[in-house]
Amino acid sequence: MNILSSPFDKKPNSVIELMLWVIGATLPGLLVLVYFFGIGVIVNVIIASITALACEALILKLRNRPVLPILFDGSALLTAWLIGLALPPLLPWWMTVVGTAFAIIFAKHVYGGLGNNLFNPAMVAYVLLLISFPVQMTAWLPPVELAQNPVGVADTFAYIFTGANLSGQDLNYARLGVDGFTMATPLDHVKTELSQGFRIAEINQNPMLAGFSGVGWFWVNLAFLVGGLVLMIRKVIGWQLPAGALLGIFLTSFLFYGIDTDHYLSPLFHTFAGATMLGAFFIATDPVTASTTPKGRWIFGFGIGAITIIIRTFGGYPDAIAFAVLIMNMAVPMIDYYTRPKVYGHNKINSANKSEAKHAE
Amino acid sequence: MEKDLIERSNYSSEIPVYQIPGGVHPTEHKTQSNSQAIAKLPLADELVINLKGQAGNRTLPVVAIGDKVLKGQVIAESDGVFSSFYHAPSSGLIKAIEQRPIAHPSGLTDLCVVLETDGADKWCELTPAGDPSSLSRQEILSRIFESGIVGLGGASFPSHIKLQRQQGIDSLILNAAECEPYITCDDRLLQEHSEQVLLGAKIVASLYSNNSEPGSELGIIIGIEDNKPKAIDALIQARDKLKFQNIKLAVVPTKYPSGGEKQLIQLVTGKQVPQGGLPADLGIVMHNVATCFAIYEAFYLGKPLIDRLVTLTGEVCLNKGNYRIPIGTPIEHLRKASQVESECTAIMGGPMMGFEILDKQAGIVKASNCIIFKSAQTLTQAAELPCIRCGACMDACPASLLPQQLYWHAKADEFEKTEDYNLFDCIECGACAYVCPSNIPLVQYYRYAKSNIRDQKIEKAKSDKARERHEARLERIERVKREKAEKHKKAAEARRKAAEAAGQTDAKKAAVAAALARVNKKKAQASQETDDNTTNQATDNHSKDESS
Ligand code: SF4
Ligand code: SF4
Repeated sequence: MNILSSPFDKKPNSVIELMLWVIGATLPGLLVLVYFFGIGVIVNVIIASITALACEALILKLRNRPVLPILFDGSALLTAWLIGLALPPLLPWWMTVVGTAFAIIFAKHVYGGLGNNLFNPAMVAYVLLLISFPVQMTAWLPPVELAQNPVGVADTFAYIFTGANLSGQDLNYARLGVDGFTMATPLDHVKTELSQGFRIAEINQNPMLAGFSGVGWFWVNLAFLVGGLVLMIRKVIGWQLPAGALLGIFLTSFLFYGIDTDHYLSPLFHTFAGATMLGAFFIATDPVTASTTPKGRWIFGFGIGAITIIIRTFGGYPDAIAFAVLIMNMAVPMIDYYTRPKVYGHNKINSANKSEAKHAE
Repeated sequence: MEKDLIERSNYSSEIPVYQIPGGVHPTEHKTQSNSQAIAKLPLADELVINLKGQAGNRTLPVVAIGDKVLKGQVIAESDGVFSSFYHAPSSGLIKAIEQRPIAHPSGLTDLCVVLETDGADKWCELTPAGDPSSLSRQEILSRIFESGIVGLGGASFPSHIKLQRQQGIDSLILNAAECEPYITCDDRLLQEHSEQVLLGAKIVASLYSNNSEPGSELGIIIGIEDNKPKAIDALIQARDKLKFQNIKLAVVPTKYPSGGEKQLIQLVTGKQVPQGGLPADLGIVMHNVATCFAIYEAFYLGKPLIDRLVTLTGEVCLNKGNYRIPIGTPIEHLRKASQVESECTAIMGGPMMGFEILDKQAGIVKASNCIIFKSAQTLTQAAELPCIRCGACMDACPASLLPQQLYWHAKADEFEKTEDYNLFDCIECGACAYVCPSNIPLVQYYRYAKSNIRDQKIEKAKSDKARERHEARLERIERVKREKAEKHKKAAEARRKAAEAAGQTDAKKAAVAAALARVNKKKAQASQETDDNTTNQATDNHSKDESS
């Protein structure tokens, strides 16, 4: 007989609920992405989701685990969702499939499945693809309003599944800006220009960099920020980690910016550029691979922020959240170990008390 | 799910209260039972009194099968070390003293006195103590001891032991927090009997007054959650009526587990009981309000502790409320009286820390503050999923532990690691399991690890002892051997010297030497014989040792 044991009451929450909240909170960001960069993002998300669920089911079957309850814990879906959001909108479909499958099979299940993986699966997928296919992975579209040849729905599918649009032009055609040059993301653009000796003030003349952090990107980040705040308020995610990450980004970039405003981007730009908010609120907060202690969450978040800025500034890749997350993932066991909270009755005042008490006896 | 609309007291705390980390807010389910006046139930035909129904050792029965007893008569006495007294909760016949199922999480049986009630419910002669302020410390402690009073908040620690320490106590905290959902017996007790509770508390306080500063009275603090506005009002009224001005109310926000001893101390004083220490190390004694009420009755009415307030509640309980129930009343009797169908599950204590009663024939014990009746279906535990390291458990832990790490190591049988992570500071409050989205029965894992570690320690102590004994034995054998060898050597030496002496050329000398040598030799032989005797004796002693 199964003896029941206390507590007999349970907070009405579950893993699937948490995961669905996170997925739901990405929706504002997803919609803004679609608004600026077309429906390719949605197609990515769908391809990734199907791949993730199929791989998860397959592996669970192979590992002789109950398929349905775990398949629907929502974790694979969330991984897929984050991969879909992070990839360039017109990435060839099979790259999305390869990345997602790798995330589920290797980054997650080889480590023992949900709860046991050391590295954030979505970011493993991202980095794998970035290293293997650097050209395609940095081939972002221009925001719709700056594009010379905006991509329609039919062309989106054509690009993703055949690599060319319906008239046979390749991706570079879609990437032409109004000025006739191939567009990159603002972060990428700034990096290239800086390397050619331009100063920030000159670079900022480019219409692509209008607004705080480039056309479209400011709004994308704002939307993810809103979704993230909802999660925080609902206590789906702790506040320490995103706060630490944003602080890390802001302070580190502030440091460089303070040294030389001509060659370093402003903290504001960094905070609202690229994948900052998506990373801080949705990716870094993956519970399984993040630090779990209150102080540890701060450190983990801050580390991600700082490393992101350092790689963005000095590294070879325009954005760096993925690398930063993976690097900090490795540090988690150590961070957790050294940031254990002070247990009740273990503090110094008390030990002083104790020795006094011993004296008295 | 039913919604509780619990009134919060707007009475602000009279002393500043501090924060505790963690904690949870489960649905309170208190309105169901806290609005009914305390009532009585019909007496059960049979009372099953568990002689180990308190913390510590088993109490020793002093009645025999077939004895007639009166209500309040002593039926079991303390073992004199660490236990308490039991008194007949009603009048009747001692039917059996035997192993019976007891109200314990293990579901095991233990020695119980079975009393067949005669329905007369006739008291033995009661002797109230007269004016408590005229009693000596020893008199007060013995009356508490002999009235069978134990802590009624849950741990049922014999009160006289808890009150023994006299030095350095400067405040008495009354625990009226009652933070577990469903339970309302303390709430109701205060609503109806605040005065008596305070009078009882006064007696406890008088054990310490004049202690640190002569002439000063011991400060009393009542820690109570703000979800008991009526009880708070009643306490204030009683205090004013009795003119007990040195009693202060600490109204704490409703949060589970603010009623845990350590947590309430932290809330009220901001201090933490040192690890491995006692509240007394901070100058604090804490007593539950129900215990104070029992003390009141023991002194003013002369009544020993034979019954207690029990909250009967739960979704399927039709007579929700608080009842004064004799110790030993079988749960089965309470189930019938609550008109609950027999297929129900009964939980003793609150939903957070209570346990399922496996055999409803078991009688209630002094610690039984609440019985929750639930239909068995509503209690199925959801499937356990892998830990996603979300940290919700850590945020809920009032002891600032890392529950998921503890779980991780407990599951892997890495008990040393669990101790590293301070497993033994876990108060098993269940807050972590309550919030876990993966439905992991965390507390079960901790209990598993704790009992394993305890077993290991006992085993180790045993084997240490055995090893010591073995080593001592080897050492003894060794010593005996050594002594024997030593003596042989001496004897040999003597012989050699004698022989040398004998070998000298001078005839006279030789003759003398020879004579001497003979004497020496004889001596040596004699001494060797005695040597052997002693050796024998030593071995004898040794074997005696071994057998004892
Ligand atoms: S609450 Fe449950 S799932 Fe979350 S970290 Fe704790 S044990 Fe793991
Ligand atoms: S049961 Fe133990 S680990 Fe869990 S919350 Fe309570 S004290 Fe913390």
